[in-house]
Amino acid sequence: MRPLDGIRVLDFTWVVAGPVTTRILADLGADVIKVERRGSLDFGDRRGGLSGTLMRGKRSVLLDLNDPRGLDIARRLAAVSDVVIDNFSARVMTNLGLDYDALVQLRLDIICVRMTGFGLTGPDRDHVSYGPTLQALTGYTLLMAEPDGPPAGFGYSYSDLAGGNLGALAVLAAIWHRRRTGRGQLVDLAQLETVASVLGPVLLDRALHGGASVPAGNASQEAPGAPHGVYPCAGEERWLAITVFTDAEWERFAGAVGGAAWTRDARFATRAGRVRHAAELDRHVAEWTRGRQAEEAMALLQRAGVAAGLVANAEDLCARDPQLAARGHFVEVPTPEGRTVRIDGPPFVLSETPAAVSGPGPLLGEHADEVLSGLLGMGAEEIAALRAAGVLG
Amino acid sequence: MTGALAGVRVLDLADQQGAFAGKLLAGLGADVVLVEPPEGSPLRSIPPFWQGVEDPERSLFFWFYNAGKRGITLDWRRPEGAERLRRLAARADVVIETEPPGTLAALGLRALNPRLVIASITPFGQTGPYRAWRASDTVAQAMGGMMFVNGHRDGPPLRALGLQAYHQAGILAAVGVVSALLARDTTGRGQDVDVSLQAAVAGALEHVPGLWHQMGLVASRQGTLHWTRYFRVGRCRDGWVMHCTLGDWTSLVEWMKADGMGAELDDPGLEDIKTRQAEADRLFAALDAWAARYTVEELVEGAQLRRIPYAAVRPPEALLRDPHLAERGFFVPIEHPDLGLTVPYPGAPFRLADAPWRVARPPRLGEHNDEVLG
Repeated sequence: MRPLDGIRVLDFTWVVAGPVTTRILADLGADVIKVERRGSLDFGDRRGGLSGTLMRGKRSVLLDLNDPRGLDIARRLAAVSDVVIDNFSARVMTNLGLDYDALVQLRLDIICVRMTGFGLTGPDRDHVSYGPTLQALTGYTLLMAEPDGPPAGFGYSYSDLAGGNLGALAVLAAIWHRRRTGRGQLVDLAQLETVASVLGPVLLDRALHGGASVPAGNASQEAPGAPHGVYPCAGEERWLAITVFTDAEWERFAGAVGGAAWTRDARFATRAGRVRHAAELDRHVAEWTRGRQAEEAMALLQRAGVAAGLVANAEDLCARDPQLAARGHFVEVPTPEGRTVRIDGPPFVLSETPAAVSGPGPLLGEHADEVLSGLLGMGAEEIAALRAAGVLG
Repeated sequence: MTGALAGVRVLDLADQQGAFAGKLLAGLGADVVLVEPPEGSPLRSIPPFWQGVEDPERSLFFWFYNAGKRGITLDWRRPEGAERLRRLAARADVVIETEPPGTLAALGLRALNPRLVIASITPFGQTGPYRAWRASDTVAQAMGGMMFVNGHRDGPPLRALGLQAYHQAGILAAVGVVSALLARDTTGRGQDVDVSLQAAVAGALEHVPGLWHQMGLVASRQGTLHWTRYFRVGRCRDGWVMHCTLGDWTSLVEWMKADGMGAELDDPGLEDIKTRQAEADRLFAALDAWAARYTVEELVEGAQLRRIPYAAVRPPEALLRDPHLAERGFFVPIEHPDLGLTVPYPGAPFRLADAPWRVARPPRLGEHNDEVLG
């Protein structure tokens, strides 16, 4: 069994943040039915890879929601679902007549999750956003940079992942609440707020002490420490992340690098000294790493009890990392066409009722017939007529 | 109204690697008891400190991660403390811990309470060849594939702002805990939730694994240019702005033309988003030349009126003064009476209309010893 066996999710989400929420629900056993439309962003192969990782284990129905018959099918599916979720800007579901006030007429204990950019209230509620614009508004873009350097930020939409994973928590909490109270509810998830919620203590610091945040490169954010950062290794674009906080860790580090003269420099003997002279220390560490393979240096330092890790690129992560492989983090999934695709699996392990990939990503509209007949009792002729009219894909 | 997890009892033994999980569960209304050693949680010695004065009750780092928890002191690494922890665990629903794999299992909590959910957050998880290896947040970000794609082409990989390996692990641990509680309704038994920092980071990527699976592509760093090539930072008269070539492209070009610019973008081929992706460099160069005549505020306001997703590139402290967040009450003022201080805590990451998020003061060292242990 899986924790969400018997839960049905009607999923209007698209792009990334919403699909991240519903892929976790699908991994946990929910029946996730994607309501799709034509002309959405296309990431290529829908079965595996990027799309497959976002849509794994979901069913797909292609509906024209601008046609009253399409909208009627969406409403009937909502009436037999536990959770209805979207990540449009605030007014879209209201204009379609699919917001909480409408859905609760169809099913009293419905859980309606609205994953907008800015939330359902507030002066900016109708603003449009994507992950990169939310990261810009919340400080990530400006502060992920080298000291005195221009903004760099994330190379991708981390905001979608933060919002998506927190969205799954919101749905699970609402399901738990419904089990205890019998009541469904509206969930207002503003992706601006989910990504602001993972900034950390910096907001308290600025609120209480004022001042302006400035980029700090790869300096530690969890405790003062040096060396701390990434160091170039032998080869092109090979880097090793190293973290040393305590004096005990420093002694282990010094032993691992062979007790070189610079490790005995009195300025580096204390934590405060190492932090004060971090730039010079970094130069010595980089000299040591530059002549070594990143994997070998990592293993050498880890064997000595020092936190060190390869700055993994896609190939390191997906094809070479023995740890993720041993934990089955990436999975091979058969498709109905007889292919095998590789996709990411659930990133956490439950010992007794494990989350698991239910299947590959669906083709567009692949499950229309089985969903409409199985859940709404529609006959083949009725379905064919809807398809002929272009209401159903 | 009470929180969604009202009545759920959590013992939080986690250090900073797992502190975010308990914070989320407390926000959802669970009774989260932070179990600190007699000298205090290691988080209490992490800066910044209120007014820069190093003191266990003044760490903003501790405050952020422990708001809404109760706190007790208990030395569970010694036999007497271990016995007290066992008694507490016998009545608890959830334990969250960050010890090296195997350490907590030796206490035999599961045997005492088969309904207990035990969430373990460790650098690489409970199994596999690296299970005993160490990590910091930065090392986990590196090994999980997050860092390699952040930064400029000619610069080093950059860590995230905020401890995002720890935060993702905390979110997934909370997801695992509520899932395990739901499963317990059916099975009557608790279970283990095994969260690896590395895997949590790998699960918070977007294109990196997908494009490798799909076409063997190794994504690289490209500065502020988003991997989709639809977003890039540009410069206005008074600061940075995030350009976006998705949204209402026609309106964007009309606007530029009205300013007597953007003639080179007046090309029907560019109405196709795939073409805009392919020609991103040329597009952003034209947008930069045009944006230089505006202030950030003017440009973002004009773009949003046209439903083009532009945004200002701001420091995090801009959120403290953001009228939108103010109207939504995102920051919640919480009294710290001992310090005569009111602190605006970041509030709900999401809002359950029928089960409000709870924000409350973090515990003083041993503050709830009597009521919890008495």
